[in-house]
Amino acid sequence: MKTFQYGLKQGIKSIWQNRLFSLAAIGTIAICLFLLGLFYAIISNFEHMVYNAESSVGVTVFFDAGISQEQIDQIGREIRAYKTVDKVTYVSAEEAWKKFQKEMNAEGGELEDTFGEENPLKDSASYEVYLTDVSNQENIVRAIQDIDGVRKVNSSNTVADGLSSFNALIAYISATIILLLILVSVFLISSAVAAGIRVRKDEISIMQYIGATETFVKMPFIIEGIFIGMIGAVVPLVVFWFVYEKLIDFILTHFSALSQWLTFVGASEEFRVLIPMSLLVGVGIGFAGSAMSVRKHLVR
Amino acid sequence: MSKQETLIRLQDVTVRYSKGTEALREVSLSVEKGEFVFVVGCSGSGKSTFIKTLLGEVPVSSGNIIVSQKRLDKLKRKELPYYRRTLGVVFQEFRLLEDRNVYENVALAQRVIGVENERMKRNVSIMLEMVGLAQKSKAYPKELSGGEQQRVAIARAMVNRPGILLADEPTGNLDPENSWEIMGLLDEMNKLGTTVVVVTHNNEIVNRMQKRVITLNNGNLIKDEAQGGYVQ
Ligand SMILES: Nc1ncnc2c1ncn2[C@@H]1O[C@H](COP(=O)(O)OP(=O)(O)O)[C@@H](O)[C@H]1O
Ligand SMILES: [Mg+2]
Repeated sequence: MKTFQYGLKQGIKSIWQNRLFSLAAIGTIAICLFLLGLFYAIISNFEHMVYNAESSVGVTVFFDAGISQEQIDQIGREIRAYKTVDKVTYVSAEEAWKKFQKEMNAEGGELEDTFGEENPLKDSASYEVYLTDVSNQENIVRAIQDIDGVRKVNSSNTVADGLSSFNALIAYISATIILLLILVSVFLISSAVAAGIRVRKDEISIMQYIGATETFVKMPFIIEGIFIGMIGAVVPLVVFWFVYEKLIDFILTHFSALSQWLTFVGASEEFRVLIPMSLLVGVGIGFAGSAMSVRKHLVR
Repeated sequence: MSKQETLIRLQDVTVRYSKGTEALREVSLSVEKGEFVFVVGCSGSGKSTFIKTLLGEVPVSSGNIIVSQKRLDKLKRKELPYYRRTLGVVFQEFRLLEDRNVYENVALAQRVIGVENERMKRNVSIMLEMVGLAQKSKAYPKELSGGEQQRVAIARAMVNRPGILLADEPTGNLDPENSWEIMGLLDEMNKLGTTVVVVTHNNEIVNRMQKRVITLNNGNLIKDEAQGGYVQ
C-alpha cells in the first residue's frame, strides 16, 4: 500500500516532468478511443436499426390445405405461447387476395418472393407473427414449422441482411483502424515511460542501491502509463457525453425523411458500454506500454 | 569486545569484465564484525570493483564471497534488494536526488523498505541529528556544501541501520577539512557497531587514523596490515 502511494506520487510527477511525451501519448489514446467510441456508436445504432427493421418485417405462417378454422385458432394459441412472440395477427384468405391485387396494381408483379409458390386462393390464409427478440427468429421459425397443420413459414429479412452486411463492413474497417491506433498508442506510451526512466536513471540506481524491490522501482512507471491511458480514455468520453444526444437530434431534424428507419440507442444505454470499454482499453494500453518499456529499460 | 564474527569473506575472488580486464585477481580476505577497514591503491587497481562485487552489482568470475553467512553467487535476483538492505553505501559523487530536500533524500531509504510514517519521521530526525544536519532538513542538495551533501548521503546509508557501511572514495570531492569531518563521522558509525569499509586515495587520512589497510595493485591484494599506512 505504501509502495502504491509512493508510486502514485512519483508517477504523476513523472507525467508532469515529461509533459511533452505524455501529452502526445494522451492525445493518441484520446484519438484512438474517440474513434473506438464513434465506431461503437455507429455500429450499435445500426444494429439497433436492423433489429427494428427485422421485427417490423415479421414472419408469415401458412396452413395445410383444407384446414378447419378451429385448427387455425389452435395453431394461433400455440404460437402465442412462445415468450419472444410479440404479436400475432390473422390474415384471412380474402384479405390476402385483396392485398395481393392491390400490390400487383401498384408495382406490377414480383410478389412471388413473399408468397413463394403460393396462390392467393382460399388456402392462403396466414398468421403474421412479430417477435420481441429478432435474434431468436430462426428458432421460432423452426418451432412453428413443427406445429401440426403448418405448411410453410416465410421469413423475409432481406432488408435486415443488407443492413447487417453493411454493419459487418463497418466493423471490419473500424477494427483495423482501431488496432493500428492501439499499436501507435502503446508505442507512444512506452516512449513516454522510457523518457521518464531516462530522466530518473540516477534515482532508479540509488533506489536499487538502497535495496528497493523491483516492484517498488517499477511501480511509478507502471502507474504513469496507466494514468496516461486513463486520461486518454476520459477525454473522448467527456466529448461524447456532451455531443451524443445533440448529434442524434441533428440527424433526426436534418434527415427527417428517414425518420422511420432512424431509431437510436439512448445515451445512457450507450454509455453503459462505452465508459467501461474506453476505460478498460485505455488502462490496458497504458499498462501494456509502460510494462514493455520498463521491461526493456530497467534490466540491471 | 564480543567474540569475533566474520562478516565478509572473499575466497580467491577473480572478477573479469566482458572485455577481458581482470579487475580483481584471486583476492582472499576477511573482515570481522565491528572492523574499520581502508582499501587503498592507485587508480584502476580494482577498488571500486571490490565495492561493486560486495554490493552484488558485479558478479564474480571465480571464487566466492560470503557476506553475513550468505554466498553472493547463490543470491537470487529477487533476494538482491533484501541483501542490499543489510548494507549502507556512500559514493564519491554523493548521488543525492536534486529535486528532493534533505529530509526526503534520507527518508527515501525508509520508504523503500516500507517503514510507516511515524517511525520514519523519528528515524530520519535521529539520523539527521547524528550527522549534524537537523537544522537543514528542508534544504535542497544545491544549497549545501560538498561536506554537507556527503553527510546527507551517510545519513541515507545509515538510516536503515545496516550492519555494514561501504564507502567508495567518500572524500574524493571534498577539501581536507571536510574530508576529516566525513572520516570522523564514518569512525563514529564504526564506534556505534557498524562494520565500515572505506575505499580512499587520501594517504594523509589513512596514515593518521591507524586502521587496518588493504592495498590493491592491478587487481592483486598486495598488502593487508592491521595498523597500516599508505604510500602513494
Ligand atoms: N564496467 C567495466 N567494464 C569493463 N572494464 C571495467 C569496468 N569497470 C572497471 N573496469 C576496469 O577494471 C579495472 C578496475 O577498475 P576499478 O575497479 O574502477 O578501479 P579503481 O576503483 O581502483 O580505480 C580498470 O582497469 C577498469 O578500466
Ligand atoms: Mg574507483
